[in-house]
Amino acid sequence: MLRCVAGMIRARLALIQVTILAAGFGLAVPCWSAGTPAATVIDNVAQVNFEIAGTPITQNSNVSSITVQERIDVVVVLQSPQVLVAASDTDRALLLTVTNTGNGTETFQLTINSVLGGDDFDPLPSATPIYFDTDASGDFSVGDVAYAVGVNDPVLAADASVDILLLNDIPAAVVNGEIGFSQLIADSLTGTGAPGDVFVGQGDGGTDAVLGTTGGSGNDTGEYLVGDVQMNILKSVTVLNQFGGTEPIPGATLTYTVTVEVTNAGTATASVFNDVIPTDTTYAPGSISLNAGALTDAIDADVGELDTVGAPTVVVRLGDLTQADGIQTVVFQVTID
Amino acid sequence: MKISYGLGFVFLMFFSSANAISQEQGHLNVTTVVQMEEVTIGDNGERQTRLVAADTIVPGDVVIYTTTVENISDEAAGNVVVTSPVPEHLSYVAGSAFGPGMVIEFSVDGGANYAPAAELTVEDDGQPRAATAKDYTHVRFVMQADLVAGAQGMTRFHAQLN
Repeated sequence: MLRCVAGMIRARLALIQVTILAAGFGLAVPCWSAGTPAATVIDNVAQVNFEIAGTPITQNSNVSSITVQERIDVVVVLQSPQVLVAASDTDRALLLTVTNTGNGTETFQLTINSVLGGDDFDPLPSATPIYFDTDASGDFSVGDVAYAVGVNDPVLAADASVDILLLNDIPAAVVNGEIGFSQLIADSLTGTGAPGDVFVGQGDGGTDAVLGTTGGSGNDTGEYLVGDVQMNILKSVTVLNQFGGTEPIPGATLTYTVTVEVTNAGTATASVFNDVIPTDTTYAPGSISLNAGALTDAIDADVGELDTVGAPTVVVRLGDLTQADGIQTVVFQVTID
Repeated sequence: MKISYGLGFVFLMFFSSANAISQEQGHLNVTTVVQMEEVTIGDNGERQTRLVAADTIVPGDVVIYTTTVENISDEAAGNVVVTSPVPEHLSYVAGSAFGPGMVIEFSVDGGANYAPAAELTVEDDGQPRAATAKDYTHVRFVMQADLVAGAQGMTRFHAQLN
């Protein structure tokens, strides 16, 4: 399974739509196979054919037998892309999947750890920080059941998995661009340790339980990015009719001026300005400009065009915007039909 | 004393007769064992492997099947062929079959036909392709010389638990 999710924020104002694409990342999720079930008995008999003085004879060997023991393995995989948060947010969820990659049924105990190195701040686990994504919505919602250690530890058959939500609050004292890690740990209740460790008689069907490569413990870490980019977007219009007046009559020209500005420390990544031409008006060819520089209507090397697939729309790619870029001014004209 | 002797005698009778039915039938003694390799690192850091009982086999592990054939009759056995299935849940390990003085062949059709590894094909979606070790259902060891009275032959192959 390959899940690729790109985070997206939209800011809307009247006719203007500014779409900001946040950095998203794809998750390559490997496939596992639990293998032959624990307690499976595999018998084998060899056969020998031969001749004694020309007489063909067939003989079987004894039955050699092996019983497959239980291998304990568990893998935790983050499903959420980087979660964009703001200071003092509460109950922000990360989605992770716990998969039993062993060959027997195992019970797993879940733990959250939000005090990790390598990040800028420590998220604060919520009062009840672990939930099952019971309604499979992928986010924290009313139908989700709280997890309590020792009460409803997930019991997973071989190859089975369960979706888990980690909930954290975001501290007040964070600034844009900071990252905080939070980790889900799933430990086999039978035991954890070094690969190859044996728990005699504790596997399915009275087999021995043997720790696989994961040592009976899996974990993965998600991240919160403080990235509440704030934008100030203003749109104004002036009217000039064919008689030199300002009455908006058929044939009058409307000049729209839209300003876009980042007003805090965040970065609006790959910002795109989209504005649909209003009904009962017609776009005035060659009228788009960005910061007083003309842009052609054609889809070409410059950053703007009139997109005529569907409703005619003025498109200007503003790129990565920060406060340092200042006010971006887009101007275009239409005439009233 | 008398009672104890009697019980021992009965037990011996039972044991040897059961043995005879499954393995001997008067001519050959055929025994199969399944084992695994145990690797130990000696005091001098040297890696040593030995075969031990396959008691803690989990998916991914490799087991070793060894079949020994001993001629316990007083006549030579000719055209001796040892056939072993690759049991369900196991995959033959390429290149692992070993049998001194024997030609080794494989089957990919449940033991109906046998051929050397390079000559076997299977069909995938109606298209023939060269068989791989995972396709083998049986391994066959064809002894090239007679197994004379008192002589012993040995066959071995490795298989991995799926």
